[in-house]
Amino acid sequence: MHGEYKTPGGKLVQIDLDVVEGHLRNVRVTGDFFLEPPEALDVIAGALEGAPADASEEELAHRIARALAGFPGRVELLGFSPEAVARAARRALS
Amino acid sequence: MSELARWRKYRWQLISGEAFDPAMQMALDEVLTYRVGRGERPPTVRFWEWTAPAVVIGRFQSLRNEVDLEEANRHGITVVRRITGGGAMLTEPGRVITYSIYAPPELVAGMSFQESYAFLDAWVVEALRVLGIDAWYQPINDITSANGKIGGAAQARRHGAVLHHTTMAYDIDPEKVPRVIRIGREKLSDKGVRSAERRVAPLRQQTNLPRETIQEFLIRTFAERHGLEEGTLRPDEIDEARELVRTKFGTWEWTAILP
Repeated sequence: MHGEYKTPGGKLVQIDLDVVEGHLRNVRVTGDFFLEPPEALDVIAGALEGAPADASEEELAHRIARALAGFPGRVELLGFSPEAVARAARRALS
Repeated sequence: MSELARWRKYRWQLISGEAFDPAMQMALDEVLTYRVGRGERPPTVRFWEWTAPAVVIGRFQSLRNEVDLEEANRHGITVVRRITGGGAMLTEPGRVITYSIYAPPELVAGMSFQESYAFLDAWVVEALRVLGIDAWYQPINDITSANGKIGGAAQARRHGAVLHHTTMAYDIDPEKVPRVIRIGREKLSDKGVRSAERRVAPLRQQTNLPRETIQEFLIRTFAERHGLEEGTLRPDEIDEARELVRTKFGTWEWTAILP
């Protein structure tokens, strides 16, 4: 399943994922956004891994924000946000 | 501190002239970012020359979502992945102007990432305006003009340094781009009509000047504004970059790290 969302004035987020027994699996987050450090991309995708397929946009965004807060060191997102990733994921799921 | 005083705190070194293949360009950016970060070379600005056409995709882009690999192959276009985020672009020898700035983080201390993009390209916007182009910075990372988009920048903060590189269209064939780079509908969702978004206004069309003349004028503007000394790539820097091409930038594993 594939979903996209472009933050107005910002960048495009694309999500590819599967749903297995009601949960998100094989989540892949890509796009033309800026992210430092690049390793944080795995944290963003990993935060959605295993999430219930019926989770709301807010719940998905919260999972991502929480995972990023736990990342050692400072993470910078430019042109997108946890909310943008969550919206792309919701679009993939609907 | 004024904008100019920030730049003038450093002795800038210029690298230009020698042409490299696309994977080598990616590798040189990583090597020189490292070297400036470790204080092994002074803050540097490098103007690129290309030996071959390339599609350069951003660090976080999906290879197959962005590039029609068959079309790229058919046109003899190499696909490489850079270490900075941002979008895919088409480059061809003699048809773009590309430069990299390798700087200590203190140059942009206290600025947001978004502010630092405009700051690091301000000298270029200034130079283009002197050349008679109604150019301005369009956040987050575009140099644009009344006639259309001129170019885009991307940054990475790695290894104790800031890498900021920018590519401007000099004479890109606008019909060639959509043949190899896919542009989705969602990407254009907040930019009005599709034809307007894709309107690129290459520098040749806007100035009638040879590419070399524009590039020399950019270098002169940098030199007058910030100070600039002639420099050169060291053999060990080139060797290190060649090794990085072999182990990273020339490999399918890296290019398809996000398939």
